[in-house]
Amino acid sequence: MYAEVAIDERVKSRNAEPVSRGNIYTLRRLGAAQGGGLVVALIGISIYFSFMSVAFLTRANFTVILLQSSILGIVAVPGAMLLVSGALDLSVGSLAGLAAASFGTFNQIFGIPLGWSIVLTLAVGATWGLGNGILVSYFRCSPVIVTLAGYSAAAGVAQLITNENTRYSFGPAFAVLGNGVEFGIPVPVIIFSFVFVVGAYAWYRTPIGRHLIGIGANRDAAMAAGVPVSRLPCIIYVLSGTAAAAGGLILTSQLNAASVQIGLGLELQVLTAILLGGVAFNGGRGSLWGTLAGILFIGVLNNGLTLINVGPYIASICIGGALLLAAVLDVVYRHLENVPAREPLIDTHVDTQEESGHDAPHAISVTAGSSRAWEGG
Amino acid sequence: MSVVSSATDLGAAVRPSSSHVEMLTVTNVGKRFGPVTALSGVSLAVRSGEVLALIGDNGAGKSTLVNIIAGLIKPDSGELLVAGKSLRGSGPRAAREAGIETVFQNLMLVPTLDIAQNVFLGRELFQGGPIGRFLRNVNNRGMRREVEAAFSSLGLNLPPVTTKAGSLSGGQRQAVAIARSVIWGSKIVIMDEPLAALGVKQTEAVLQLVDGLRAHGIATLLVTHNMQHVLRVSNRVAVLRLGRKVADIDLSDQELTGMQLVGLITGELQQHEL
Repeated sequence: MYAEVAIDERVKSRNAEPVSRGNIYTLRRLGAAQGGGLVVALIGISIYFSFMSVAFLTRANFTVILLQSSILGIVAVPGAMLLVSGALDLSVGSLAGLAAASFGTFNQIFGIPLGWSIVLTLAVGATWGLGNGILVSYFRCSPVIVTLAGYSAAAGVAQLITNENTRYSFGPAFAVLGNGVEFGIPVPVIIFSFVFVVGAYAWYRTPIGRHLIGIGANRDAAMAAGVPVSRLPCIIYVLSGTAAAAGGLILTSQLNAASVQIGLGLELQVLTAILLGGVAFNGGRGSLWGTLAGILFIGVLNNGLTLINVGPYIASICIGGALLLAAVLDVVYRHLENVPAREPLIDTHVDTQEESGHDAPHAISVTAGSSRAWEGG
Repeated sequence: MSVVSSATDLGAAVRPSSSHVEMLTVTNVGKRFGPVTALSGVSLAVRSGEVLALIGDNGAGKSTLVNIIAGLIKPDSGELLVAGKSLRGSGPRAAREAGIETVFQNLMLVPTLDIAQNVFLGRELFQGGPIGRFLRNVNNRGMRREVEAAFSSLGLNLPPVTTKAGSLSGGQRQAVAIARSVIWGSKIVIMDEPLAALGVKQTEAVLQLVDGLRAHGIATLLVTHNMQHVLRVSNRVAVLRLGRKVADIDLSDQELTGMQLVGLITGELQQHEL
């Protein structure tokens, strides 16, 4: 490794520094595995529930947990990508409802065949997502305001087109989408797995992941580096809208009813899972594996507490508590990121007084690790 | 001990012959921001293996010119040539593809990405073969290896390339940004205040890097406020005042003092009076 080669007298002399430094580096490594703490918590509650309920640690129950998490998961994959790039999508819940309403209308009122109704419904979600994306990425509108408007407007449009009539009975072929089982796995779980695998590939194996992180952490730097800072988040918005519509379709299939209410609160559940997974609310830091841990944490908690006959209120309290813990950990991670690297170029600490007279010392951070100064510059 | 142990020696081996080609040519560039004229009719040229210092008071138009060259700002008029050819397309990507690398005043690194990811940001290497390229499968190991090779060729002693940029010191970030230009085999490196707020030793290290760039045959445009640095590393100095170029002096022909340079900046001296 390069690190070992680089060790010389200067590095040795630095070992005279306080010993406690070592702990900070260990902590930072933990922080680097974002959501690492959540994985530990996930294993912890799983062990707890398996002792408390014989039904918990069964294949059937595991399938149930995944099934209950799949819609949240499908929407959370593009959601995490948006959040890490410094954007967010609050319209997904209403878009799921709009998708249900659109599908019912396409299929039963216009008499469009099932397959085309599904395609058109996904297109409705994609189009709404494109609108969000253009306003946020190209017009630089606030993502919170734009998608909050979508949250309100999409729900209104859904009510308007259904005229508050819920459509029922879409036939056995459509029921497969939400209730079908292929190769022993429920269809929604298969869809979620596919979405996650594609998302994880894009995040970790293509430049997309680091580009999104770059846009979230330092948009100017990403732009100067040639990252498509407007196009990329815009595409993710389209995917987010499409995923929300897909979630709405799966729910409609499960209920065999196209209710405009189905997506209620989905946007906040998605946001909760992503934030639990360690994606920074302001973007620039996070991982998709952490998001998966967040999704499963919520799924396991809800499932386990139901199995041991503790009401859903306790689950809500636990999720709230975990989120508060995540907020505290977020601050800790931010501090750890500012700890200077091990082997400095020459001197880690520089005295400004040494610099001969000019008037722009504010542009670059003087002391190692204080990234704020230069980010703001 | 200095960070740059071998940059100049190494550079000496690849020092280009005396045929200094005009790498960057800026012709008659003008830019207005509303009622403010930031630049008007500025022309300058940087040759390969040459360090041109660009100096001027605050608001003289230095940063505007740098941003125009880097492709971040579109000029209202004028032309930019790289090695005699005009750029294909516009924007930062086109500038980079033409071989212009810019080290910005605020360094422009992503703090939450590591050194190797920052160096290759926007220009990632992919796994070999048509499949790796089609799937845009990044070659992390290859990128890390190239960054390590470039650091050692520049004689830089930096933390492991998997260190997050946010935890680097000012001098280390500077070194990463400069190394990026060398890795990309850039023909032209623009440095906007690379020495602002660096300590004495770090400044010396960066100045040696600039010497190294010159030795690599790269055309360097150095924006600075510090006259000592100008005299220490540059071959030529261009002075901007109120958006116009008021002096362009070859330092090998003419010995100048820091006071004379200050005089040119403030307008108390004219080039012909020297």
